[in-house]
Amino acid sequence: MFKALAPRAARPPTLRSLSARPSKLFQTISPLLAGRISRGYATESEEKDLVIIGGGVAGYVAAIKAGQEGLKVACIEKRGALGGTCLNVGCIPSKSLLNNSHLYHQILHDTKNRGIDVGEVKLNLAQMMKAKDTSVSGLTKGVEFLFKKNNVEYIKGTGAFADEHTIKVNLVDGGETHVRGKNIFIATGSESTPFPGLEVDEKKVITSTGALALKEVPKKMAVIGGGIIGLEMASVWSRLGAEVTVVEFLGQIGGPGMDAEVAKQAQKLLTKQGLKFKLNTKVTAGDAGGEGVKLSLEAAKGGKEETLDSDIVLVAIGRRAYTSGLGLEAIGLETDDRGRLVIDQEYRTKLPHIRVIGDCTFGPMLAHKAEEEAYAAVEFLTKNYGHVNYNAIPSVMYTHPEVAWVGQNEQELKKEGINYKVGSFPFSANSRAKTNLDTDGMVKFLADAETDRILGVHIIGANAGEMIAEGTLALEYGASTEDVARTCHAHPTLAEAFKEAAMSTYSKAIHY
Amino acid sequence: MRGGSVGRGKNSAGGRSEAGLSTQQVPGNSRLKETRGGAFSEFTAIDRKSINFDRNAVCNGSPASGQSRSPDFAASYRYWQQSTSQHHAASNFVMPALSPTMTEGNIASWKIKEGDSFAPGDVLLEIETDKATMDVEAQDEGVLAKIMQQDGTKAIKVGARIAVLADTDDDLSSLEIPAEEQPTPESKPAESSSDKPSASNSSSSSQPQSSAPPKPAKKPSTAPPGEGKIQTYPLYPSVQMLLHQKGLSTEDANKIPASGPSGRLLKGDVLAYLGEIESNYAAEQSKRITDLGHLDLSNIKLAAPKKAAAEDKKAEGKQEAVPEPDLEVAIPVSLTAVYEAQERLQEALGMSLPLSTFIARASEIANEKLPRAKGPASADELFDSVLGLKTPKKTSRGSYTPHVTMMGPVTPAARLTKAMDIIDVLAGSSKAAPRPVRSGAIGVGSWDGENIFSLSVKKGEERRARVYLERVKTVLESEPGRCVL
Repeated sequence: MFKALAPRAARPPTLRSLSARPSKLFQTISPLLAGRISRGYATESEEKDLVIIGGGVAGYVAAIKAGQEGLKVACIEKRGALGGTCLNVGCIPSKSLLNNSHLYHQILHDTKNRGIDVGEVKLNLAQMMKAKDTSVSGLTKGVEFLFKKNNVEYIKGTGAFADEHTIKVNLVDGGETHVRGKNIFIATGSESTPFPGLEVDEKKVITSTGALALKEVPKKMAVIGGGIIGLEMASVWSRLGAEVTVVEFLGQIGGPGMDAEVAKQAQKLLTKQGLKFKLNTKVTAGDAGGEGVKLSLEAAKGGKEETLDSDIVLVAIGRRAYTSGLGLEAIGLETDDRGRLVIDQEYRTKLPHIRVIGDCTFGPMLAHKAEEEAYAAVEFLTKNYGHVNYNAIPSVMYTHPEVAWVGQNEQELKKEGINYKVGSFPFSANSRAKTNLDTDGMVKFLADAETDRILGVHIIGANAGEMIAEGTLALEYGASTEDVARTCHAHPTLAEAFKEAAMSTYSKAIHY
Repeated sequence: MRGGSVGRGKNSAGGRSEAGLSTQQVPGNSRLKETRGGAFSEFTAIDRKSINFDRNAVCNGSPASGQSRSPDFAASYRYWQQSTSQHHAASNFVMPALSPTMTEGNIASWKIKEGDSFAPGDVLLEIETDKATMDVEAQDEGVLAKIMQQDGTKAIKVGARIAVLADTDDDLSSLEIPAEEQPTPESKPAESSSDKPSASNSSSSSQPQSSAPPKPAKKPSTAPPGEGKIQTYPLYPSVQMLLHQKGLSTEDANKIPASGPSGRLLKGDVLAYLGEIESNYAAEQSKRITDLGHLDLSNIKLAAPKKAAAEDKKAEGKQEAVPEPDLEVAIPVSLTAVYEAQERLQEALGMSLPLSTFIARASEIANEKLPRAKGPASADELFDSVLGLKTPKKTSRGSYTPHVTMMGPVTPAARLTKAMDIIDVLAGSSKAAPRPVRSGAIGVGSWDGENIFSLSVKKGEERRARVYLERVKTVLESEPGRCVL
């Protein structure tokens, strides 16, 4: 009994010992045959300065940056499209649907009092999806163009570690190749965490990926998880006509990072739009066997049980690092109990030439965080120093109104026992919001009671996602609310509310 | 009196014009370390005439000196400066850069004592560099208030304070000793303030080198937290406001320990400096916020080794789906044709080709374009179909290697039994693994070169595996020649 060997391409000598032991017979292979057997494999190219596994936001940004810095760089992506989750099935397509569904919803419900009489309004879901796809493909092609422009070699295939410096790539178009890199970045991202007991088929039980591509508006939709992804998708389908129920284990929506006061206000506004919420509730079981999906619910602290029927269940309970198939064991890289690759402050693994950036390691799973890390990690290579300030990474929920924040929230400050002061300003007192007839929300500052230094900014309102940039800048520069308040803001803009909220923190607002 | 004396004539001319620049400020010379330390917590404003000293030295960047390193030529250079601030009682005298490449020097000896006054042209001290020993002359009159670096001190960085100078009519007993300044970044010509227009001298202010610090001084200041830092950026509006309210000048801002990012001065720093909040509060807050800026990599719980993890899952309950046991797909393959081909090869070419090579080659051919496995679509396929990127490929390259059970004439029975055992284990509770009838093929009769080629595959891959095996069979049984050519 012996195991016959699949033919192998010529490989670096180090590899030979690692690969399955060649049988004695096999070693007597004739030169005639040797040439024959290596057919079908791409030839090995020269060693790269940097090989990046993953062409998502972390990977492609690192690749472009490294190209700009003059490194010889290759980026391996298996999906046939660059941009990863964010560009293809995440941030970008969801924003397309959010924007267009909001427009649809507004035309349906919010035109009369503005003096616009609209005739029959009909949803063309297929066209809405097409608009989304056009946006996505335009952006992914754009990244591919940037690769060419910055001399990044784009390898379409699935990479796995063959040894510490070599990546074996199973090419998408068949065959395999090996890439050697002096440095290697792992940027393999994350995937939706599955819900135990409910198998995702992306038809009845869907993740955010499926939620972006439903063929028709479901009548009833259940969302497990009231975090940002869950609420955004819930908003889209609710606006398009679905009856959506959000089940959340925690006592507040928006995840633990959202300020409790803001979360409460957001919940109130979303409820007004027709979303239903079941907080402090856990899903104990799911049954997708019948026509629809049946969820068994139970109060989080025990007790009250009920069932929830729906046509579609969206599982949005979070994301987890994705590193399977990478061959981490082959080179002895460690992950933590949640599958995240272990790194130091400079993103190095215990093999210092291998760094990890983005969702597959620590920190918030956000595209802009991944981008910052990509930039910093390349600069650690080329300049020996990179900068990411994890205290100034904004979060945005693109519902309507939007919710955005940066820095710490009230719960966290209380927990740390920090003496802080709060200042806020409602959009209902802001002239621009008034003229827009869109006055929901507020800007809220949290500043140190002694030094007035800004500790956190929390915004709920129509333009929160854009406005948070100013708060992030202020935080990055260690500004006080007085600094913001003494900076001129254009009139009439929503941003004035930002300034007035700062004023009300260190002194008094003028217009409230 | 080597270099210094030669250059003296020229030097004094330059010195005069330099002296006119007394109002020019270089940020940083006004900090009072003692104020922070508390020893001189009250600083008295001494109204005094500003003094300026020039000295002869070859200065980097000076058009006059060009790249010449000749100590003979001494361009005038202000290496210590007096700000116009009323708060300043004395000026620092720093290690001059005597050549463009000089970064540090030794003090050979001081030629005057503390308390001695001096006049332009007097030799103050002798400095050793790696190249030469040079005298340093005074360009203006004054008093040597304090010697900070005594004779024989080695390796003093250019720009580091070596003494404190005062004006001739200063009372040395009550003199404030200014804080040592950090090597300053470029001071801007624009900083020639108009406080004392009478003293401004256009001819020298137009000389860029007159305000340029020695080269080593261009290193960014890296004041440790808790020390003042020259604020090279515009002050924050809140800071400006506070300074004005409290009657502090912008120069005072440089004395305040700055805790902001990159040493920026924050409102909290000023409040702490003014005593309105606890003095170390701002610094501690900055430390806390800086810590928040880093990834928290403490308390990483490493994943348990795989086996243990699997056991954990079992223990936890049935939430994880039990992995489908692998299925066994097997097929009898006769190797007679291969043996024949081997023989022919031996006869024709005198070359022996091992059996494994035939099998490996057949496997390679068979792995081409296998039909895709059934079962739930992979994440990638869902992804692609969601994007409408492409229709999923019907075929893909396999990576199978056949498991060959040799039914050689040697010990067929033993091998078979063993193989059966394994298969039983593998098949476990799985549903009807497609297993070919093999008892007939093996158990009886003479051995006809037939072997069992088997594969262990996941559920849903049976068809793919079977196609693969059939292909291997076809190649080996009917066209073994393909393995050779």
